[in-house]
Amino acid sequence: MTLDDIKHLIELIREHDLSEFELEQEGFRLRIRKGGETVTVQAAPVAAPVVQAPAAPAPTAAAPLAPTDDEGGDLAIVKSPIVGTFYRAAEPGAPAFVDVGSPVRKGDVLCIIEAMKLMNEIDSEHDGEIASVYVENGQSVQYGERLFAIRLKR
Amino acid sequence: MPSPLPFEIHHRPVVTSTMDVAAAEAAQGAAEGWTLVADEQTAGRGRRGREWTSPAGAGVYLSVVLRPPVAAGDDRLLSLLTLAVGVGVRDGLQVATGLAPDVKWPNDVFVGRRKLAGILAEGLALGTPAQCVVVGVGINLRTAAYPPDVAAVATSLEAELGRVCDRDLVIDEVLAGVGRAYGDLKDGRAGDILRRWREASPWAVGTRVEWESPSGPQTGETAGIDETGALLVRTTDGIARVIAGEVRWKI
Repeated sequence: MTLDDIKHLIELIREHDLSEFELEQEGFRLRIRKGGETVTVQAAPVAAPVVQAPAAPAPTAAAPLAPTDDEGGDLAIVKSPIVGTFYRAAEPGAPAFVDVGSPVRKGDVLCIIEAMKLMNEIDSEHDGEIASVYVENGQSVQYGERLFAIRLKR
Repeated sequence: MPSPLPFEIHHRPVVTSTMDVAAAEAAQGAAEGWTLVADEQTAGRGRRGREWTSPAGAGVYLSVVLRPPVAAGDDRLLSLLTLAVGVGVRDGLQVATGLAPDVKWPNDVFVGRRKLAGILAEGLALGTPAQCVVVGVGINLRTAAYPPDVAAVATSLEAELGRVCDRDLVIDEVLAGVGRAYGDLKDGRAGDILRRWREASPWAVGTRVEWESPSGPQTGETAGIDETGALLVRTTDGIARVIAGEVRWKI
């Protein structure tokens, strides 16, 4: 398992909002826990590769307002204000408002959520760059569900 | 009596879309009741970017700015808002013309199998103190309002009534109807809105429908609406609750 593999795992853990993850393979054991802020990689007694773990995925105590991403930038999480259907584009076939890597400014439209034919444009409250898109086009979202992570401009 | 909505009506001969202009005004702080009526739209639109043909003088094209207060917990004010506007438009048309159209979930206005009016709602800054909903209403006044290729599924007030129709009266009564229905909802009479909606929607029970769910296309038979306004559909797997998306009606 490489550092990149672990980064990928952390991304998945974040995406699915898991609080704890454990993986045991021949040679080593990996345990990642959110909230408790521990990331442990233990080598088994037998000759095993030593893996350096990156920082915890979402430390809560250190940065209560914005979690920190792998690259050390602050992340703002955009959550759904309502229950509805999530659309990434203004209309079917149109390009998505934003993608991972898109620069965004405060006030830019990120997505539309439809409920009872009320179309809600969700605007960015920050300047930065889209770090993650958590929901697929056309899926239903719950109140408070995470939609995007924005890496804040420093 | 609900407090009447303080309409501030602006008229423009031609706009791209009353929705765009009203949304821009709302973003600049336009008060509740700010209304734009246009004679013609060059880029009138419906749900999800659909075109709403809007030739000069052939229809009623208007948008109203609403500022529903942010509710703590129960957000039926928002979930029932578009249904309430449908009820209000229907009532206004009835007062102005004597015609009693139906509503089709969530808020299309139909006469028989033909669409008479469409309603669109766009929310801004929902969940914040600045929350605002811009409601758009398009009503076919004359047959010239819609292209011939939709004639099988569209109708107009004049086609239904067989006489000339007073556009200003239609506008006044539709706005008054929307104001009353919205006032009822805001003053806590959601049950009244639901009752009036159900009375006006014969298709809400026992009609075959198809819709896109996140897991793919589904079919079923309508089984009314629940207290939040969601459409209930009886499927082979039980009752499904539809709150968004396109519903195709087998009527």
